[in-house]
Order: sequence, then structure tokens, then C-alpha cells
Amino acid sequence: MDLGEFEADNSVSCRLASAIPDVCKTEDCCLGIDEAGRGPVLGPMVYGICFCPVAKKEALKDLKVADSKTLTEAQREDLFRKLDEAKSFVGWALQILSPNTISTSMLQRSKYNLNALSHDAAIGLVQFALDSGVQLKEVFVDTVGPAEKYQEKLSQRFPGVEVTVRPKADSLFPIVSAASICAKVARDHSVKDWSFPEDLGEVDADYGSGYPNDPKTKAWLLKELDPVFGYPQFVRFSWSTTQTLLDSKAVTVHWDDDEEDGEKAAARQNNTSMLSYFKTGSKTSAQQGNTHQTHRFFTERRLQSLATL
Amino acid sequence: MTTKKKRTPHSQNERWVVVAADSAVETPKKDDSDPTFIRLRNPSTDAASLYLLGSGDVQLYEVKAFNEDFHSWFIGQRVQRDGRLLYVTPMDPLYLLLPYLIKAGEEGKFQPVDQVVMDEDFPACTRLLSCTRSQASLHHVAEEKEVGSQKFQRYSQERTMEWLKKKAERTVKTLRKSNISVGEGVKSTTYVRVKQESETQEEDYLRYAHGLISEYISEDLSKALLKHLQLPELSSPKEVEPPSKKRKLTDKPLEAGEDYTKFNSSDFSRKPPKKMSAAQKTLAKVDKTGMKSMSAFFSPKGKAEKK
Repeated sequence: MDLGEFEADNSVSCRLASAIPDVCKTEDCCLGIDEAGRGPVLGPMVYGICFCPVAKKEALKDLKVADSKTLTEAQREDLFRKLDEAKSFVGWALQILSPNTISTSMLQRSKYNLNALSHDAAIGLVQFALDSGVQLKEVFVDTVGPAEKYQEKLSQRFPGVEVTVRPKADSLFPIVSAASICAKVARDHSVKDWSFPEDLGEVDADYGSGYPNDPKTKAWLLKELDPVFGYPQFVRFSWSTTQTLLDSKAVTVHWDDDEEDGEKAAARQNNTSMLSYFKTGSKTSAQQGNTHQTHRFFTERRLQSLATL
Repeated sequence: MTTKKKRTPHSQNERWVVVAADSAVETPKKDDSDPTFIRLRNPSTDAASLYLLGSGDVQLYEVKAFNEDFHSWFIGQRVQRDGRLLYVTPMDPLYLLLPYLIKAGEEGKFQPVDQVVMDEDFPACTRLLSCTRSQASLHHVAEEKEVGSQKFQRYSQERTMEWLKKKAERTVKTLRKSNISVGEGVKSTTYVRVKQESETQEEDYLRYAHGLISEYISEDLSKALLKHLQLPELSSPKEVEPPSKKRKLTDKPLEAGEDYTKFNSSDFSRKPPKKMSAAQKTLAKVDKTGMKSMSAFFSPKGKAEKK
């Protein structure tokens, strides 16, 4: 699998796709969606679709595609090669969501959570298939979140296509298994030789599976932490694993949309307690100490006089 | 203007980001002193403020800092925690000399200025007198007499008022030119208005200019200037007390403002309880021994203690 396009800039989301088989543009097709790399704290999340004519479902079974989790890495590679060789009737497309995309989406001002991100990636890929002229009739999806809601969302988005959302769809429908193999292979490749865009010198490449509970991954995260910048873009900053480490080991950084406890924020902003407005007399005398009010020209521009450097 | 990063030689962490006029950081000519930061008495607050004297003490600069929450600097390969940006801008030294002249003027005598400008807390203030503008502009705020080669000054309120009035007028011009919003209400600089605003009154500009100048003079002078500019004092709405909640005694029969009696009537309490939701039912089953009712917290303290 050639990931060159993604590796050219692995900070953004990237779409890779096979050529569309001619038969898919004329015959009714089925399509499977699956994802790889949802849980790890390292590397991208990959969404994959695989499609073929409904009539060729049996041919897909002959390829012995099965749930990617039950296969070894070598078997997956082998199956992907077979899928790619069957390009006369099987097509695939991938959406690689870089760890940086995941971090910035989940941590931006208006939060964009992982489920929404996943759903949108899936929708984007189905739309891509439709736009490429694939005659979609059936879509099978492994669920993200509650299956019914997801199915309803997808059915509404794609009227005229029969959508089936099932947990464990990757072991039930060969076309979903095929999609899961494509996604998993792409994810493995990108993680294995991740090219760090940061100038880090020698980076320890022994980061294990990338899952938060992997001791190797944990050790790597502890070792690679920079007190100011935290981590390279390879790491998902929005993961609680990362945030816990940053909170305890890195320099504290305050953002203006940080949620602070009410009292703490009030104290920092020099707010007056609500109670003080109900007192009479005592309040005015206390405030008369500094009558000097800086002119609004300066306060509006956040300009202050200094007493010392 | 240039942006300079400076560092004190003894500690690498002490850095400031400064925007300063070229003249403020000029290298000194022979025998002149380096540009230096000094602390002087701020005429408006009477407390210490930071100023800068250019090389050879020729020109005075005030130092202001842009300071807002959640800002930091990346400088070269370093991070600086505080995101302050210092501005070093030229300033008329007369503003700083004025408090000393006023104080000496209370005696009503003509005195040489170098005997007047003295301050135990801020001994550096004498250096203000070597600024080029200082000696030449004293006549704006004081009457002068020359005896032999020596000059004597006496503070003059009228001259000062005229001088400050001119300052205010010049400020108004600059405010207009730089399109600064001086009216009531808040305006966003990024918001483009379709209609040109013509309502901004001359008085608004003058009042704004007065407020700006008041940052550089004492409160007494600020009040005097307000009168001199014939600006009416604004009444502060803050002093208005909220109306007392207590009812005034009248001869008229009293009537309740709000009627809560229906809640106390017997048939209210006897009403059959409404159907409870599952959550309410489970709540009702909770063991309530030792718990106070919510209303207990609102009854007057004295009563509660008697119980």
C-alpha cells in the first residue's frame, strides 16, 4: 500500500482510493465501512470502505477475508494484496485522520467529539463512492455508538440506500471485513514508519502498539515528553492519557477558554463577590482607598503603567 | 520605531519585549550616560512609575505595558511566560516637574528651579532638569524672573491652565485624526459601519482628551482643568441608593403587595398529592431522619435556635 500522499503531510486528513472498477458503475453494489485505530493514543485513525457488485459477494468470500482482528499482520497484508488484485470488481477508499486532526478537532473551542468525527468520515467516504459513480444499494457498517441512532442518521443522509448498522459487522459481512483489512493495513503502515515532521533528532521508534494500556507506549510517552510543547503531532493530545501526563509533568498552560472553578476564576479576574453588593456603607469606605481610575483609553488597550520592570 | 529584545547581563530569564523610538535606544555620545530606566513620582497617582531617560538625559520617555491574560512569548528558542509588550514613548517632562513647582508655589516666592525639584523618595528627579525641553518650557506653567544670569520661577495656575488647554486641543485633533471612538457606548474597530457617524460631539472629544490628560496630572489639576475647559461635571449614577424595601408609614389602609394567603389556606394543604414519577417515589422512600426541611434554612435565626 502506497501511503506516500499521507506521508507527504501527516498533519492533516488524507484520502486514498483505488481505481473504481467499471462494473461497479453499472451494477448494483454493496459497500462496507470499518475503522482502525480508534483507541490508541498514537497515530492516525483510519476509515476504510470497500465495495463490490452485490452479485460478486460470493467471490469475496472465496478470498477468505475475515475480521481483521482475528488475523496476523502477515495475513492481513496478504489479504490486502489479494483485494488489490481483484480490482476488476473490488474497489476501496480510505480516509486517514491524522492524530493532529483528532487532537485539534476534539480540543478546539467548539468541541468536535470522536464519534461525530467518525460519523463524518464514514459519511464522507460513502459520498465519495456515490460521487465516483458507484451504484450503491446496500451499506453495511460496524457501529460507533448506539447502532439504531447511527443507522437512522446514515439512512436519512443517503435515501435510496439500504443501511445496516450492526455491532461486530466486521465478522458478519465479508464486505465489512474487507474494509476493515484495508483500514488496518493503512494504519499499521503509517504507524510503523511514522515520519516525524518535528525536528526531534533521534526519536525512539519503539512505541509499542500505541494503545494507552501498552507498557511500551506508556514508557515512550513518559520519555518523549517535552515540558513546553508536550508531544510531537504523532500523539493524540485529546486522550486523557496524554492530558494526565501533561498535567503532572509539563509546564502549566492556561487558555482563555479553560474551565476554572467559579471562585478561582473570580479571584483571578478580580471580580467582586455577589454578597458585597448587599452590604451598605462598609463597601464604599473600603473602595475609596484607590479612587484613581485609569482612563478608558488605556484600559481598553490593556495598557498599564509600570512600577518596576 | 524598532523592536528590541533586551536582556540584563546577570540573569538570562529577565527579558522584555520593547517597542521604542530609535532615539530612545541611541548609543550615547562620548561622556554621555546610557539610556536608563528610572523610577519617578507619577503625577497622577503619586506613586512610583517607570520612565526612561534617553542617552545624555536629553529626552524623557514613559513606559507602558500591554498586559492581557493568557499571553506568552516565543523568543528565538525560548519561551517567556509573561506576554507583556512594553512601549517606550516620548513624554513631556513638564508633567513630572509640575507637582514640584506647585508645591513650591504654595510659598508664593520666586525660586530657582533646581532648588524646587527635589524628592527624597525619588532622587533621580533632578535629572529631569537636563532634558532639553524642561528649562525652555517652564514659562508655560510658571512666571519667570531673571536676576543676573540666574532664573527664578513661581508657579502660575493661569499659565498652567492655558498650557493644559492647548494640550487638550491638540489631543482632540489627534483623536480625530486617528479615528478613536470617544462617544458613549462601545464600538468595535473591526465592525464596519454603513452610515458615517456624525453624532460625535465636540464635547465628547474634549471630555475624552481631558480624561487622557488627567492621567498625567493631579486630581486637583484635573478638576480645575475641567472647569477651565467649561465642561460640566458628570453626575455619577453610582451614588443613587436603591429604593428602600421597607414600607413607608401612611394613613391609608395597608394592602398586601403580593398575596400568598392561598398557599396557607386549609384546602390547599388538603389537596390530594399529585401522581409522583418513579424518581420522586424513590426519593420519597429515602430515610429522612435527622434531615432539616428546606424551609428551616430560611426562617429567622432566633426562632430556629429557640426550637
